[in-house]
Amino acid sequence: MRRCLRSLLCLAVLAGCARAGEQSPDQAMPGDAGGKTVLTFYTALGQAEWKVLREEVIPPFEQAQNCVVRSINVESGEMGRKLHALKQGGAMDVDVIGQDNMALWLLVQQDLMEDLSAYEHTIPPETIDALVNVGRFNGKLYFMPYRPNVEITYYNETYLNKHGLKPPEDWDQLFDTARTLHQREGVGRVAVKADGTAGATVHYFDFVNAAGGDPLTLNDTGCKRAFSFLKELWPYLSPESRRADFNTMNQFLAMESVYLGQNWPFGIEVIVNQGEKKDIKAYHGWRGPVREAHTLGGEVLGIPKGAPHKDLALKFVSHMQSKATQTMLVQRLAWPPMREDAYAEVPAWQKPYFKAVKEALAHAIARPNVPYWEDFDKAINLAAREIFLDRADVTATLDKYAAQLEAAKQRKSAP
Amino acid sequence: MSATPQAPAGSRAPATRDSDWLATASRILFWPVMVLTLLLVTIPTYILVKVSISRPAELLTQHPTFWIWQPTFKHWEGVLGSPELWAPLWKSLAVATLTTVVAVAIAAPAAYVIARMPKSLRYTTILGLLVTRMFPDVLIALPVAVTFIKMGLLDTVPGLVLAHLIANLPFLAWILVGTFEMIPQALEEAATVDGCSRFEALMRVVFPAALPGIMVGAMFVWLNSWNEFTYAMYLSTATKTLPLQTYFYQAKGSWFDSAAYATVLTIPVVIITFALQRYLVSGSLSGAVKG
Repeated sequence: MRRCLRSLLCLAVLAGCARAGEQSPDQAMPGDAGGKTVLTFYTALGQAEWKVLREEVIPPFEQAQNCVVRSINVESGEMGRKLHALKQGGAMDVDVIGQDNMALWLLVQQDLMEDLSAYEHTIPPETIDALVNVGRFNGKLYFMPYRPNVEITYYNETYLNKHGLKPPEDWDQLFDTARTLHQREGVGRVAVKADGTAGATVHYFDFVNAAGGDPLTLNDTGCKRAFSFLKELWPYLSPESRRADFNTMNQFLAMESVYLGQNWPFGIEVIVNQGEKKDIKAYHGWRGPVREAHTLGGEVLGIPKGAPHKDLALKFVSHMQSKATQTMLVQRLAWPPMREDAYAEVPAWQKPYFKAVKEALAHAIARPNVPYWEDFDKAINLAAREIFLDRADVTATLDKYAAQLEAAKQRKSAP
Repeated sequence: MSATPQAPAGSRAPATRDSDWLATASRILFWPVMVLTLLLVTIPTYILVKVSISRPAELLTQHPTFWIWQPTFKHWEGVLGSPELWAPLWKSLAVATLTTVVAVAIAAPAAYVIARMPKSLRYTTILGLLVTRMFPDVLIALPVAVTFIKMGLLDTVPGLVLAHLIANLPFLAWILVGTFEMIPQALEEAATVDGCSRFEALMRVVFPAALPGIMVGAMFVWLNSWNEFTYAMYLSTATKTLPLQTYFYQAKGSWFDSAAYATVLTIPVVIITFALQRYLVSGSLSGAVKG
């Protein structure tokens, strides 16, 4: 027993002390800063993206401001919890956050973010207009634009060629493609995200906008037209649609159970670069009866309430928005720029994918920031489930959920 | 005078027949059940390792191969060469081991005392311990994290160890109460008769006899702490724990790196389990005290 306890204690001491001095690259502790101010930056990036930021984007700022940037990876789903705990604990040490623009409402609702309306004039005039509104809530600007993003359409060139098909350009072609693949392969090979989560909402949002509707009404003519089309399309879609989210869609495309599907551009790195699937190509997507529409995604920068270095944080935001930084991000990571004047050559293999992103961005529509978004998200997914799976009547179902949504709107707008 | 029915000559009693049937069934089923269990346990681990050393072309098709044909260590080189592996690995190792040591050091004496309490008091105390576990971690994690942040325990090993003790101490004490209850009090009395003090009897007789139970409890705590996610998410920022780091890779959709990280996460679990399994012997107390 003593031997056993001794072994455990030795292991603990070894583990705890031998590496006590070791630090993750996620951190640069104030003690290392040599008396310089330490600016803490939270955001979620891939390893390759962090490398570019830490080695090329951040150092010029550190040099110019004589400071140290402590950059830490925090996933967007974790961000609210982290900031909330730090605020409650009275130990807010975060100066700037980079956050997915689909996950902003909670931060504003919990009163975690600084109102940046007074600094709106610092946004470069070359910024794409729609990007600014993404950060506005109840007329106040809480987030600054930094990185736009939009879903693109991936397709398996080998299989589409094998069946003599081309990437669909409109809804009719999309329907024909889905039906042809279903008939020839005995199973649907086109996927739409319909897993009942926020990713599915983005897809329905795009279909409704493409049909000329206002998704937030849930039952206008465009909504009914979009859901009627999707109901008709559903039998020819891949069964994977019910499990398709931002992560699994990549997997389905890479493992060839889906030949055509929309997802965010990070799939380029995962499927094409890491997965070596060179025959997975991408293009901007299809247009609906009224227009082509893609929900504007991406990341924005914000300053948490109680940030210890607000002025330096604002300078950091300006640095990230500068032409030099945006150009570098295009060049090194093929991120679409937030400014119209940031042009650069992307690596050769990324060129067609970057073109797809840029073309899709031309049809980007910013998602409105409404307090009842959670209710809308739930309602549209429940309606979709009833319409696609239970084959419920489109008009009756949408009317039912529109009434529920209206009640939620009234409830949330009440003082 | 009663006549006991006699079994006809040449036939056996029903109880004997039943036990024969059971013995035959267990002889026949032992290996199939054993092989099936082994496959259920090893196949997921095999797939994890296979993904981590496979070329993308082998996996990313409609019919991925089951066997490893052309292994590549490219993903492992990336993961092992990444500075983002070692700090989380050491942090997880330190937290899990320290949590186990502290939990055993606190829970073992406490459980011994509880085990020797009168029955009604013992029952109430055990119930009291388990009541603290009625609230899910996700519910209490935020207030706990806020308190720890106020105490300056954010991003520290002691902070996470304390948080993990909240979840593990009551269960460990509960497990160990059962263990100490099984140890006959006569064993301690015999030790004191032989000249041991109460403390010596405890250290030389009771705790060694309870070692299998303590080891089971220690393994339980170590594995719980190693895999813990909720408190780690709140209380780790700059240096994450390994499960958080694996989640980070999984969230970025990198299948091969995720598999390599998950394998790293599994290796210490296998080592600890194998190292401690020799203590998991039953019947160590049989014949300890003669009547």
